[in-house]
Amino acid sequence: MPNEHIVKTYDEELNRLTNTIVAMGGLAESQLSDAIHALVKRDTNLASEVVAQDPRVDQLETEVESQALRLLALRQPLARDLREILSSLKISSDLERICDYAANVAKRSITLSQTPVARPIQALPHMARIAQTQIKNVLDAYVERDAEKALQVWEGDEELDELYTSFFRELLTYMMEDPRFITPGTHLLFMAKNIERIGDHATNIAETIHFLIHGTPPQGSRQKRDRTSSSVVLPGPKGIVDSETSTR
Amino acid sequence: MQTPIDGTNDSYPDDSGSTRTAPLEAKSPVAEMTNKMVIKDLRFYYKKYEALKGINMALYDKHVTAFIGPSGCGKSTLLRVLNRMYQLYPGQYATGEILVDGQNILDPKLDLNLLRAKIGMVFQKPTPFPMSIYDNIAFGINLYEKLPKSELDGRIEHSLRKAALWGEVKDKLKQSGLGLSGGQQQRLCIARAVAVKPEILLMDEPCSALDPISTQKVEELISELKSDYCIVIVTHSMQQAARSSDYTAFMYLGDLIEFNDTATVFTNPSNKRTEDYITGRFG
Repeated sequence: MPNEHIVKTYDEELNRLTNTIVAMGGLAESQLSDAIHALVKRDTNLASEVVAQDPRVDQLETEVESQALRLLALRQPLARDLREILSSLKISSDLERICDYAANVAKRSITLSQTPVARPIQALPHMARIAQTQIKNVLDAYVERDAEKALQVWEGDEELDELYTSFFRELLTYMMEDPRFITPGTHLLFMAKNIERIGDHATNIAETIHFLIHGTPPQGSRQKRDRTSSSVVLPGPKGIVDSETSTR
Repeated sequence: MQTPIDGTNDSYPDDSGSTRTAPLEAKSPVAEMTNKMVIKDLRFYYKKYEALKGINMALYDKHVTAFIGPSGCGKSTLLRVLNRMYQLYPGQYATGEILVDGQNILDPKLDLNLLRAKIGMVFQKPTPFPMSIYDNIAFGINLYEKLPKSELDGRIEHSLRKAALWGEVKDKLKQSGLGLSGGQQQRLCIARAVAVKPEILLMDEPCSALDPISTQKVEELISELKSDYCIVIVTHSMQQAARSSDYTAFMYLGDLIEFNDTATVFTNPSNKRTEDYITGRFG
């Protein structure tokens, strides 16, 4: 942690900015966990609550923006302070997107509760738990200003991508077997996509934290295991064929 | 897979791979830079007190270098050594080398007048001579060369234009330089420094006594002058160093702590002390 500023109110303002981000992060965590709980328990009341909470996130994002703007205008921040403020803007917009996705999962869970689901969907809560851990770890990394921890989140997105790809195939297969599953299957697919995107935003935040601390983005390339854009599931003479196109 | 969805057979331009243009050759800025001044193991003493503890750095031609650092760090001292201003005072001396175009200016045999014509200086407080605006500038020129009146007039106009002052004083060149405003006086001093056609311009906190508008005029002037000169500016204003220099040197307790291009120093300095200083964490 850097030393204190000579001007104490400057530190206070920077701390307030960090606290607003942390509050947003806490909200993102609970929104996602409530959305998944609502889905699993078919609790439409809880789902509606998640949807109703969404404006609160937007409000926090606006707060971050106005605090950042004020600091830029009045303090002329440099070096780490400047990166701190730029990062807060980037992280808050990632967190806002995460909450949007969580709200979308909640919305779809309301729709889904009106259709019979004949299939178990453990994969989705499992993905959500991983995404939640990613958010939690990346927020810890932010609070502790720990670039190493952020890098672990950055590298940890792979698992989520892999789960998403296999869940994608699984759902396509179910839908092909039984057309009645197409409506719930499509909703589940979008939910899984939302959670996968949440993971991507967590990695964005991890990159931002690395930049905040070191002034550079993380080095090296991350393994991307989301292969759904090249996945093909076709009904064939010998049953359903699951393959992957060669374009990747 | 075989039939495109929109019924055409066009592949994405990206797929061909042949249409990509080669990346533009990134020109290294270092390649275009000439060292105007090279400082080697420079130490400076006020009697027994060592104020500069072995400075090594290069100042680039046609670029602006800013010296920043807390009070007493040696930045003004360094500037004073660069044109041997210190020789006016007994008990002050420097060791090491300062090479200007390869010539060591610390060499005692060097003609100081010629040196100071080559290396102009502008001070913190405007220092116009108690004479007319015209004579303020003519004075310096007459020390070094004898110009016919018409040529002298031309040089004075040129210098005042360079210092962005001509429009404001062209109708009152015979009036006293002391009658000008602070900002105008400072620009008059810059015109005076420029008039003898120096190669290096040293500025010691040139804007610290000026209002914001005059400050901006001087900063604009610095950015115009740098196409002709090697400029060194000492400033207490971090924002000024950030705005008007290409390179920044951070000094602390007589040592050069960090020297890098200005954008790097102010966004991602490599030394913790530099970072603490520019972000206002110690003074």
